[in-house]
Amino acid sequence: MLTLLGAQTTEDETARRDRELEQLLLQVGRGDREAFAQLYGLTRGAVYALALSLLRDAHEAQDVAQDAFVKVWENAPSYRPQGSPMAWLLTVARNLARSRLRRSERQTTLDEAEWNAIPAAAPDVSHEDRLVLQDALARLGAEEGQIVLLHAVTGLKHREIAQLLELPLSTVLSKYHRGLKKLKALMKGESDR
Amino acid sequence: MTDRELERKLAQAITRAAPDDLEAILSRCGAQNGSVMEMKELKSNGNIIDVEVTEVRPKKKLRPWLAAACAALVLLGAGGGGLVYHQSYAVASVVSLDVNPSIELKVNRGERVISCTALNTEAAAVLFDMNGGADLKGTKLDVAVNAIVGALVREGYMDSISSAILISVEDKDQARAQRLQAELVASVDGVLKTQAPGTSVLSQVLDANTPASEYMTFDSGLSAGKAALVYKVMEMNGTIATNSTTAFDKLAALSVEELNDLLKAGETRIPIGKPAAAMAVETYAGTAAINSAVTDVDPELDETPPHYEVKLKTAWGEFEYIVDAFTGEVLSGPKDVLSLAPGGNGQTSEPPAPEVGTPTSPSVNPPQTPSSDTGSQDVGQDAAKRAALDHAGLTESQVTGMTVERDWDDGRLEYEIEFWCGTTEYDYTIDGHSCSILKHEWDHHNEGSHHDEPHRGGSSAGGASTGDIGAEAAKAAALAHAGVTESQTAKMKVDRDWDDGRLEYDVEFDVGRTEYEYTIDGVTGAVLEYEQDID
Repeated sequence: MLTLLGAQTTEDETARRDRELEQLLLQVGRGDREAFAQLYGLTRGAVYALALSLLRDAHEAQDVAQDAFVKVWENAPSYRPQGSPMAWLLTVARNLARSRLRRSERQTTLDEAEWNAIPAAAPDVSHEDRLVLQDALARLGAEEGQIVLLHAVTGLKHREIAQLLELPLSTVLSKYHRGLKKLKALMKGESDR
Repeated sequence: MTDRELERKLAQAITRAAPDDLEAILSRCGAQNGSVMEMKELKSNGNIIDVEVTEVRPKKKLRPWLAAACAALVLLGAGGGGLVYHQSYAVASVVSLDVNPSIELKVNRGERVISCTALNTEAAAVLFDMNGGADLKGTKLDVAVNAIVGALVREGYMDSISSAILISVEDKDQARAQRLQAELVASVDGVLKTQAPGTSVLSQVLDANTPASEYMTFDSGLSAGKAALVYKVMEMNGTIATNSTTAFDKLAALSVEELNDLLKAGETRIPIGKPAAAMAVETYAGTAAINSAVTDVDPELDETPPHYEVKLKTAWGEFEYIVDAFTGEVLSGPKDVLSLAPGGNGQTSEPPAPEVGTPTSPSVNPPQTPSSDTGSQDVGQDAAKRAALDHAGLTESQVTGMTVERDWDDGRLEYEIEFWCGTTEYDYTIDGHSCSILKHEWDHHNEGSHHDEPHRGGSSAGGASTGDIGAEAAKAAALAHAGVTESQTAKMKVDRDWDDGRLEYDVEFDVGRTEYEYTIDGVTGAVLEYEQDID
């Protein structure tokens, strides 16, 4: 019963987060920089995660995340509540990432050596953080990694992820479960070593 | 580690890895779009009845696409010219454009746009560069429609072989509606002929005097235009008489092109839809687990038999399929295309790319176990299963919950086999060409211990674990909690799992558009967790 309440609480939290983001976006639309800073603090992880999972390049993901927030600032006055402010923010980031991919006409694969270099640049990133990100992004399938990461970081529901990535819901569900299972196995393997 | 703990770990890692660039971003945040022009909306009973532009947006602020759209219309001799400001407008017509994105334009008698609204998230993305549609306020309707159609083409919504756009005009004045409809169709058709040949332009006139409920616009993500098209199909197939919301939901999920095909053919059955057709092919072809495989689906519901043409694109070639539009049965096309892949049939070229969807990237990891005949035939699932059982020292009758998945990993065909004997879980990875065991794991859940060597000799776990309620009872517990019977559900899936030393069943099913996910205690049958998601 306790866990049941836990599930309900998570739903309530999502609704509360959506209301908070809606409110902040409206304030940003009126030119409120403090609200923008709060919005950035609450969503920068999600926007970066999406950009990173699509571009698979930390530097490009950082650029796209910056561009996305500038666009959000510029266009916030025209924002109309659509139900999910997080989905709106991520759609902005998705479009920018896709257009960057189209321009460069490539999709890169990160090998482990490359990956080790990226989080090391951030002082707060622990060895464990690096391992879990490396497993999720470099060792899962591309879509599996995207789906697992988006579900974990953004709080979007599977249905919203399906819409964002333009994939059938059934694909998202199966890749999510499969990805999570693989990730567990990978992490288990590492801890056993 | 539970799923939730793992997700929390990932979220924390991303939060710490995401660069904090607030200062840099703020330094780039200048004037906001839409802050120059202020429009005063006059409302009555919540409806906008008049809009007054109180400040003129400088002409240099015009977005490039808008300038281009104006120029194109001038060249076509279709009007356009300078924008007129300081006018008061009242809503005369409502024009909706539907592909997958649905966009609604309200226009005044002078055929200028009063508001432009995205009715779904996809439409919001299309309108993003137009300031969410705000930039279209005050422009001529034909300019706005051309700009939107251009954006739809740029965003790739007109890419498929026979996409369709629906233009609907709703007006109390039917003569004006018909004139607008004809003008818009001619204009859009002209644009699409050059930018997206093969696209159909559908159009309809709706009577604004007809009560909205008749168009069944209770689904907020649907334009009045698409709702009317769904309504026409329901009239044709008889579901309107029963006021079936299930039929409405199923039809509303179809594309404009599919709905139009149904009307043309007088087809009364409801097809499975493009995503389901794509999934049927991926399952049939064995590529559902391959991320690099993509599908392009073209509905042909007005042909005999009604079907979906599905093109499956893989790293090693394209394959075409015909899928029955109602049963989802694959009527033609190669089964199991993995065996057709280079490396799967002894050809000399490279094996298919690994799952990451990068056909150009080389396969770097050699097999752990020497596999001299990687170019030979697939050993098949039965042989792989036998190899795993032999290695575990068990027979098929001693094990439960066996799953076999065929997969490609770093260009190598593998079988992933899982099964249980009592409370012991066995995991095997078998080479799909040589049948050699690449990896094996054994988890004895009673003790919470983990071993790298398989349990041999079978029966120490005491058969089916004591206190295991079984999959059927777990299913029943979830159904009882949801208040439904199994016959009301679809896509039922029950998985047996151990989480932190506890036996659990994950039960998933759909009831209509609602998706249920339960975690049931495998010993007590208690509902540990549940999630309900309305699609």
